[in-house]
Amino acid sequence: MKYYVKMVRPYMVWSFLLIVIPMLLIAIYSVTTGGNTLVNIQFTLENFAKFAEPIYVQVFVKSLQIGLITVGICLALGYTLAYQICRFEERIQSSLILLVTIPMWINTLLRTYAWISILSDNGIINTILQALGLEPVTLMYTNFAVIIGMVSDFLPFMVIPIHTSLSKIDKSLIEAAQDLGATPFQTFTKVIFKLSIPGVLNGVIVTFLLSISTFVIPKLLGGGQYTLIGNLIENQFISVGNWNFGSALSLILTAVILLAITLMRRLDQEDKEEEL
Amino acid sequence: MMKKNLLAVMAAVGMSALLLSGCGNSSKATLKVYNAGEYMDTSLLSKFEKEFDCNLVYETFDSNESMYTKILSGESYDVLIPSDYMIERLIKEDYLQKIDWDKIPNSGNLNQDVMGQEFDPDNEYSVPYFYGTVGILYDTTVVDEEDLEEGWELLRNTKYAGDIYMYDSERDSFMIALKALGYSMNTDNTDEIDAAYQWLIEQRDLMDPIYAGDDVIDNMVSGNKSIAIVYSGDAAYIMSENEDLGFYQPKEGTNQWFDCMVIMKDSEQTDLAHEFINFMLDVDNATANTAEVGYTSPVTEAYETMLKEDYAGISSYSPDMTNPLDECFRYQTSEIKQYFADLWTKVKAY
Repeated sequence: MKYYVKMVRPYMVWSFLLIVIPMLLIAIYSVTTGGNTLVNIQFTLENFAKFAEPIYVQVFVKSLQIGLITVGICLALGYTLAYQICRFEERIQSSLILLVTIPMWINTLLRTYAWISILSDNGIINTILQALGLEPVTLMYTNFAVIIGMVSDFLPFMVIPIHTSLSKIDKSLIEAAQDLGATPFQTFTKVIFKLSIPGVLNGVIVTFLLSISTFVIPKLLGGGQYTLIGNLIENQFISVGNWNFGSALSLILTAVILLAITLMRRLDQEDKEEEL
Repeated sequence: MMKKNLLAVMAAVGMSALLLSGCGNSSKATLKVYNAGEYMDTSLLSKFEKEFDCNLVYETFDSNESMYTKILSGESYDVLIPSDYMIERLIKEDYLQKIDWDKIPNSGNLNQDVMGQEFDPDNEYSVPYFYGTVGILYDTTVVDEEDLEEGWELLRNTKYAGDIYMYDSERDSFMIALKALGYSMNTDNTDEIDAAYQWLIEQRDLMDPIYAGDDVIDNMVSGNKSIAIVYSGDAAYIMSENEDLGFYQPKEGTNQWFDCMVIMKDSEQTDLAHEFINFMLDVDNATANTAEVGYTSPVTEAYETMLKEDYAGISSYSPDMTNPLDECFRYQTSEIKQYFADLWTKVKAY
């Protein structure tokens, strides 16, 4: 066994180079001013103070809202889909899961551009509406467009962990519940859903993480004025060139995500203790 | 002048990766060119490679600022094609080398009126690539000709609320607000800048505009909204596809811009870089290039051919460069740049 422990070392070096050092740099940038070259830096908390301005807090709140809505829709759709998949034979299940992952083989950008041609004012939906003699509707550059883009992009990340949890459930537990007189609804809430909670939590964490930090989808489907926290960070780095403020924003976002994950893990643990 | 197209960027990055990995042939020289997206007839690239027996790595950026960020992070190229104010910045920060005009025999093809702009008065560092203005592209079937008299205030005429594309660019948006208020677009007076910020915020409230990037081109071609802020070159292309449109430069003045080819200081392929610039000024190549992208060529013969052929009757191909109120963007100190950037972030997040 000891021999194998050594094999971890290259990975440690790798992750130190690619994860720890960049994180440290972000931390340094976030508490300094003096430009992007790190030549003449001064320590300050200004970058964090700047975040307290109402306009940035608003952006943050909006990102949280959009993120939570996306997670909610993904959960509802993803759970239903995973549950339905689980009712098939095992062989068919794996091909169905494959079908769920197929969209992920295509680049996010292409999928998002596809949504543009579906939703735009002269796009597929509006062409159909007009052919039917109905009034065209504005879909692009709205919350609806952004959320539909995110849901379609992140859904597989919800379906797969839930499916894994569901397929691991011992069928005899469900039969036992039914034998003991539980209604189908009770069987679902008291047995199936409870046992699938670890998968649900994993799915929620991943989709939440993805949806709160995304910037490409809101930029393309929401237009340049649609600012979420991810767009704010991208702007600071790419166009504004204020890496200090951008780093502070990234750190705040990281803290929020960590907090959210810790809370959800705790939920999971409490659940397990309850079972015991 | 700077178009955004993530797809094109990705494709270009992918292509250049292929080019990089595909050629184990080290005897050939490699020239790295960095240009705005969808801003060149790319068939010229392979023509250049054949003619000069070299490898050409072509990458694209979506704005002058993102190009600058990439340069700042240590990436190096031989030839860059940025805009006026960015060239001024690059000169001041010592990123560029002087052009050896003797190595560019085609320089005689250049329209002398385009030369000698304030950002590089003697063209020591820059060779014109395309030039033009910023204006309002409008649907002549929807927008009342009389309303055009309002100039930039047309963008706050509630008759057209929800029917406007602004351009997702800090300097261009502030340029509009500052000009509408009668100030210089190069002001460093914070009261004037704050007033411009108020103008933009009020506009957002009143008009609910979309801040679009390069998607504005497709949207205007298919007539999704009636008013858009566009560069004259984009306007020429869009108008050649949709004949209901007109192009208008408000009398309060607008931005005149000049995109130029420059050579980076640490370029090791100086001769080849000059050959590339010379190649782009060749009449045939310049004609193919301007015909493809619709921007106004500084090569006189190419320009005149376009006026007679591809862009005959399209006003924005020959933008009005005579309004004394028009200005060119100038270098900004980092304090003022930061001041604008913060306000722009707020306008967009508003």
